[in-house]
Amino acid sequence: MRRRDFLRAIAGSALAAALLPEESAARFLRPADVPADLAVARNGEPAQLVQAAVEALGGMSRFVSRGDIVVVKPNIGWDRLPEQAANTNPEVVAEVVRLCYQAGAKKVLVFDHTSNRAQRCYLRSGIQAAAKEAGAEVSFVHEQKFRNVEIREGVELKSWPFYKDVLEADVLINVPIAKHHSMARLTVGLKNIMGVIGGDRGAIHNHFARKIVDLNTVVKPKLTLVDGYRILRANGPQGGSPRDVQLLKTVVASTDRVAADAYAATWFGLGPQDLDYLVEAHRRGLGEIDFRKLKIREIDLGS
Amino acid sequence: MRTARRVSQLLFFLLFLYLFFEAVYPYEVALPADLFLRASPLAAVASILASRAFVSTVVLGLVILALSIPLGRFFCGWICPLGTVLDATDRWFKRPRRKVGQRESTRLRSWKYALLVAILAGSFLSVQFAGYFDPISVITRAFTAVLLPLLTKVADTFVSLLGRVSFLENITFSAYNRLQEVGFPTQQPLVRGSFLILVLFLVILVLGKWSRRFWCRNLCPLGALLGFVGQHRLTHRTVSTACTDCGVCQLMCRMNAIEDGYRITRTSECIECMQCVDICPEGAISYRLGLPASSSHKGVDLDRRRVLGSLAGGTLAAAALSVGFVGRESSSSKLRPPGALVESEFLDRCVRCLECVRICSSTGACLQPALLERGVAGFWTPVADMRHGYCEYNCNLCGQVCPTGAITRLSVEDKQKVVMGTAYFDRSRCIPWYRNEDCLVCEEHCPIPEKAIRLEQRPVQLPSGETRLVKFPYVVEDLCIGCGICVTKCPVEGQPGIFVTTAREERFTARGEKVRKEEVPAYGR
Ligand code: SF4
Ligand code: SF4
Ligand code: SF4
Repeated sequence: MRRRDFLRAIAGSALAAALLPEESAARFLRPADVPADLAVARNGEPAQLVQAAVEALGGMSRFVSRGDIVVVKPNIGWDRLPEQAANTNPEVVAEVVRLCYQAGAKKVLVFDHTSNRAQRCYLRSGIQAAAKEAGAEVSFVHEQKFRNVEIREGVELKSWPFYKDVLEADVLINVPIAKHHSMARLTVGLKNIMGVIGGDRGAIHNHFARKIVDLNTVVKPKLTLVDGYRILRANGPQGGSPRDVQLLKTVVASTDRVAADAYAATWFGLGPQDLDYLVEAHRRGLGEIDFRKLKIREIDLGS
Repeated sequence: MRTARRVSQLLFFLLFLYLFFEAVYPYEVALPADLFLRASPLAAVASILASRAFVSTVVLGLVILALSIPLGRFFCGWICPLGTVLDATDRWFKRPRRKVGQRESTRLRSWKYALLVAILAGSFLSVQFAGYFDPISVITRAFTAVLLPLLTKVADTFVSLLGRVSFLENITFSAYNRLQEVGFPTQQPLVRGSFLILVLFLVILVLGKWSRRFWCRNLCPLGALLGFVGQHRLTHRTVSTACTDCGVCQLMCRMNAIEDGYRITRTSECIECMQCVDICPEGAISYRLGLPASSSHKGVDLDRRRVLGSLAGGTLAAAALSVGFVGRESSSSKLRPPGALVESEFLDRCVRCLECVRICSSTGACLQPALLERGVAGFWTPVADMRHGYCEYNCNLCGQVCPTGAITRLSVEDKQKVVMGTAYFDRSRCIPWYRNEDCLVCEEHCPIPEKAIRLEQRPVQLPSGETRLVKFPYVVEDLCIGCGICVTKCPVEGQPGIFVTTAREERFTARGEKVRKEEVPAYGR
């Protein structure tokens, strides 16, 4: 972010703080050097948005240490173009990869267990090319690399196959896109974890809330970065029609995966209580559903 | 000369291999993957005869046919990939040693003419069985159904073994990944009935036990066609006065094309491999260009009775097959590829090469060779098995690689609008309907932007007395294109909760017009 913009943003926040009632003012008034736990960057291009949001959380070095092996997990599920907002924006993914390397990561891995044919999704989403260009190791999911994991905190699922690379990575960064989904209503970060599991994934849809939370007790992203550059408002998770895509130019980053999802839900006019899997996740201690309780920083890049 | 021929065989075989492996998504290529199939004169003649129309994609086949008039069976000796494979495998077999002058029997070689006549008679009567015997189709089929799945399996096994050795793991997986980036399957390709395809292919190879190029000598209808049109060719094996009648050339000729006395060549059999030029100890043999001299060559020795017999046989077979019974259920559950011609024309054109099946295995993976679901006449024609794979919404590749235009070449946008069939819920198996629990995997995967599967949420009373809100899916008929991904992804064990049939199916005429089943009188067949 440019310094001027940043100052302007701070000034704006201060002004807002002066005018707003106490409770909401709290979210704007954090001093700049205290890292936020949830950052929202608006009105910028994908890479800038990512930079600003991660910066506000204290920079990537808060999550990635020198020599770490990092898994960056976007949504590459569908044979769709970036403009169709069915997969994570390729530039968002690439920027996250770049930041990881800047923070000293040894290796950044990018993959997804796709719904359509992997080769098609990787190519047409633009993610394969963009992430590779940023230096990531982009690979297709190999069936032999799933390992059965016992889910100790599982309610519905007692064990499930997980992808080895995720289990062994030092850091997991979840980079979902926010989309409408007819069954889950919304798919953001928690559901994006379905891309690191094997087995019969269709079976997860039944008793979805409990099952998706079970799965999320196994893998814990240190950082969730929700791509809201373009969001898919209807006919998700694949969309296909430009009518359903909204250019929102926003990225949300949070250390709290439940809060990140809950924040993204507001774009769709949904309160956190509207999503039963978020309620379930909160109840089971995965994160804070009332994101207002977090230290929030909002940045407007003004373009 | 022999070296030149071997180089040519090798290069063409490598080209064949290259084209075979090139037939994968994203298929942005300079050379069409079906080049060899288009170059097969038999496929060309048979598809033109059967559809009684000029099939523009097979021009190359006609060119080769025309070139064979002055040049004879050069295709067999220098180009045909099956011929090359046979030359390679024939070395494995030990045949009884013959002495000079003991010629192999020529009795069987008229079979191929009989077969050719029967095939052409069938084609003319619109019962197409050229593809079962066309050598390019034979080898493409074997590669698709056996070689590629086998390769994938072997690579997978190899990777899983090496991947277990910790210091080799990373390098193994990244090498495998690299391979997959350039088109190696990420999902095991499997072809229905591959066993039969393998056995028949092996039979062709094993026939080499009895004589070299047994298939080419005695069975190949393409060889027959080229031999027939090229019997008055302008290239001549010429034996000079240096010949000492040692007979080595006759003994070694893979086609048994050298007549007794060693000076006369059976032009319809000789594939111009030029081996005799090189092995003649006296250097007495050369190839010359010129008008055929009757003293040095003999053409086809057709036995009129046999020709008439096979004409009758082909006609009878065609007639018998065309009255074959095709079950309505089995045929309507096996959808044709998007862009397929109207059924009768489709059957005429399709040469059963399975090139479409091969490329589909790299994208939606729905296409499979039919067994008997589409009738005997539809054996090995492509049908979609939606439980195994689906037709990828953004894919149009089968039409791009079909050598005879049996599948119309469509743009992706046009293909997205082609209705292959219609989906129906089986409420006795669909989870929300029979268990009153949400599922909606099908809806999630339906690629239609407006969703051809929609949901209706209603409260239901459970046996326990409790009321629950359940989302019930239904199909919007007018939007469904029958792509079948809902069927593929349905999590119900075995028989799925949703299925597709050919209802509302759209096909194409040879002129490229899209038609609905109801609009074509002779559609069903
Ligand atoms: S268009 Fe459909 S049937 Fe044809 S190759 Fe592609 S996925 Fe297969
Ligand atoms: S439809 Fe398939 S099997 Fe038939 S000719 Fe075309 S590509 Fe070959
Ligand atoms: S077949 Fe199924 S997935 Fe395909 S368009 Fe019809 S309802 Fe949708």
